[in-house]
Amino acid sequence: MKKMLLILAVTLTSLPVFANDNHRVMDHHAQHEKNQGEMNHDEMNHGEMNHDEMNHGEMNHGEMNHGPEHSHGSHEHPTENAKEDVMTMSAPAITTTDDITAALANGGAPVVVDVLGVVCDFCAVAMNKIFGKREEVSALYVDLDKKTLSLVVNKGASLSDKDIENLAKKAGYRIAAIRRDAEALGG
Amino acid sequence: LLAKRWYGHNYQANVYLTGGLGTATDRSVAGLGSDTASFVGVMTDWETRTLFVSYEARFLEQGKLGNHSMHAARFGWAPYTGDTGELHTWLMLEVDHRKHFDNKTTVTPLLRFFKGPALFEAGYNVTDSAPMFNFTYRF
Repeated sequence: MKKMLLILAVTLTSLPVFANDNHRVMDHHAQHEKNQGEMNHDEMNHGEMNHDEMNHGEMNHGEMNHGPEHSHGSHEHPTENAKEDVMTMSAPAITTTDDITAALANGGAPVVVDVLGVVCDFCAVAMNKIFGKREEVSALYVDLDKKTLSLVVNKGASLSDKDIENLAKKAGYRIAAIRRDAEALGG
Repeated sequence: LLAKRWYGHNYQANVYLTGGLGTATDRSVAGLGSDTASFVGVMTDWETRTLFVSYEARFLEQGKLGNHSMHAARFGWAPYTGDTGELHTWLMLEVDHRKHFDNKTTVTPLLRFFKGPALFEAGYNVTDSAPMFNFTYRF
């Protein structure tokens, strides 16, 4: 019994989440996005940066102040998209499903909600149930990979940020941000 | 009953209060019969999309059959990260302690599958040599 628990503990501590490698990448990317206009590379730990996992294709280097010491010669800037959940240079755009595409084509307004605490399908079921009852909503999708709720609000209808926040609370979750229209489409 | 939830970008943690009312029947050789039973408990968990830890404590009141308490902890790991609507698979290990049982501490490895609103668990208590099945449907 003790041996089994010891093996389990060793296994858990060796997993990526416990080792925190993933968070280093995410933290770096989040900081990159936040400080595009005023990056101070001297304060960043480049030893922990993994440029291979970044999607430089979507970055606009012309708008970034890299300072005189930054050299792009030492790493590649691929133009094809890297894995979406690793790339965090821009906020996730709306997730397109057949329903969402059709609702947008009918003139609906796109909304993307960053949701906290979404880790399983039961979370998606709860939000589908609460938001799906609203007449203003013509299509929705909970994306566990992006941790977003994608909504299309019917043409002519409105769903305020406060409404969305309250509905998310009713479903048992909290929201971190709401993006609408062009921003929700990734523009 | 969800008493408290903590939210993060990659995790959630919860505290639930549990309770129930029913009838308990003694099927041992002692043959003490049946009596009304109730339980109260508290359960807490922390989960990401690939890791799960939970702990539950429960107190059971069974009238003439006596009072009991139990503690159970679970550790889970998902070998892959399923997206919305896909089949989610977890490998879990449950360790529980029941003071009044012969085998006070038992170990149950189990598999948890869930897809959409349905959750199914199948395990085998290696201490008691007994299978375990759970099914939950979220309406």
